[in-house]
Amino acid sequence: MLTQEENKQFSEILETLGETLDITETQYNAAVSSYKAVGEWLAKPESSLAPYKPEIRPQGSFMLGTMVRPVNEKDDLDIDLVCELTGKNPSWTQYHLKQVVGNRLKDNESYKKMLDEEGRRCWTLIYSNNANYHLDILPSLVCNGYNTVLEKAFSAKALSNDFDTLSIRITDKEQGNYFIDPVAENWMKSNPFGYAKWFFNEASIDFRKTIMLSESVNPVPKYQKEKLPLQRVVQILKRHRDMMFNGHEDKPISIIITTLATKAYKKETSIIDALISISINMENFIESRYDYDSGKFVKWIANPVNPEENYADKWVEHPQREMNFYKWIEQVKHDIPNILQQRGLQNICNEMKNPFGEQVITKTFSMLGERSFNLRQSGSMGMNTGSGILSSVGTVNTRPHNFHGND
Amino acid sequence: MGMIKRLDIPLIIQGHKLHSYFPDSKYSIRCNTLVWKGYLQPSELSSRYLIKVVYQREKHPNVYVLEPKALILAEGKTKLEHVYDSPKQHLCIYYKRAKEWDATKLIADTIIPWTSEWLLHYEYWVATGTWHGGGIH
Repeated sequence: MLTQEENKQFSEILETLGETLDITETQYNAAVSSYKAVGEWLAKPESSLAPYKPEIRPQGSFMLGTMVRPVNEKDDLDIDLVCELTGKNPSWTQYHLKQVVGNRLKDNESYKKMLDEEGRRCWTLIYSNNANYHLDILPSLVCNGYNTVLEKAFSAKALSNDFDTLSIRITDKEQGNYFIDPVAENWMKSNPFGYAKWFFNEASIDFRKTIMLSESVNPVPKYQKEKLPLQRVVQILKRHRDMMFNGHEDKPISIIITTLATKAYKKETSIIDALISISINMENFIESRYDYDSGKFVKWIANPVNPEENYADKWVEHPQREMNFYKWIEQVKHDIPNILQQRGLQNICNEMKNPFGEQVITKTFSMLGERSFNLRQSGSMGMNTGSGILSSVGTVNTRPHNFHGND
Repeated sequence: MGMIKRLDIPLIIQGHKLHSYFPDSKYSIRCNTLVWKGYLQPSELSSRYLIKVVYQREKHPNVYVLEPKALILAEGKTKLEHVYDSPKQHLCIYYKRAKEWDATKLIADTIIPWTSEWLLHYEYWVATGTWHGGGIH
């Protein structure tokens, strides 16, 4: 349906859209230095946490490279972090572990002021307005030598898909044993790094790109300007969701979008091919499982590294969320082909404004326009005979000239 | 003077070259004037535009967009960018005083790629409201 060349230009548009949606390197580095400072504060020799070698590591979309800027530029970015403690005092319950981290944060006058109300599982530090992000810190317990386990699992040569060794124990105020049970094996399991390993396994398209895999678990990962096609597609889908449900609490959640997109991804190297096939196929990865408690079938979106966890578990209580998910995917399946059938960059741009936001789309096309101008200025633009199409491979070199003024 | 004249490319060669680049296009030469009409599409995903070049010997070539007419303007604008005449869709694609073009140059190798580039930036201009193609006002 699309020629190879049309496909390439659409992919370039979507790649540029992805760049526009991504957080900037400056924002990224500011966030990294903020959480590094938190990590150093927690680990200081005089800290009561020092014996447990606290380490802060990004998780979630910050780690997966699928962050998108908020629709409202004034809104904060959520940066999800894990605070890993290696071992604990044997008498500590989840409550104690959560409090020792919180108390150490409160020992610092500035963090004390920045701390938000205690969350169910996290501590949240809210940074000043011009930083425009906040850090969600998840206190957790890891096994001895966890760093080595992680490094091995994320090395390019790792073949094993034993995700379970990567799981960590977290605290959760809503668990019945929150105040009483010091046995960590009874605490809630979470596996953000197992998930990340699964995501990068599925996303990688060649060996070179697997460098990103080992970089991603680095506590201080470098900013990745280049993204894999799947990362771009997830960003684009999340943006579409944000535009459609701006701030609505029953919107499709990111973990569901990311998981289904990853399951539907077939290692397409072109962003547009990936986006088309993912938008058509992602809903097929929602299972129906029989629930013995209710005697009904429930929708099931399995956590790939813990099939017993259902990301759609809230759909039973909140049927609106299930409806919204299907409404959203129908809209994606309408918007993408509609954009693809447009011709004329101005018409393509116009059809993208509603689904993705006028400002980012205008910026995307401005970047593309400037890029074309720079290509010609650098002497690398050529025209194809027969059509007049301009590109870096056109045969008739476009020589220097200046468009002249009006009248 | 004589030497410069001898380097001028004859209209028949200009026309022939244009036709060899764009076999579907048409040209005629009458009264020392070459008229070429052909379609240009500035990028894979762009629209197609019918272009007319009118080149009278010893004058500058004039470039017009014949179709679509009228070209849609960017939001809030009242005329096209870089044109001599907006309603006539008569494009200003090079700076005459800087001698970017003279009669020793092939139209097919200069005016035409520049026209295609104008069309490309026209599309970006309608898309974004800003001209990104550079130039001199």
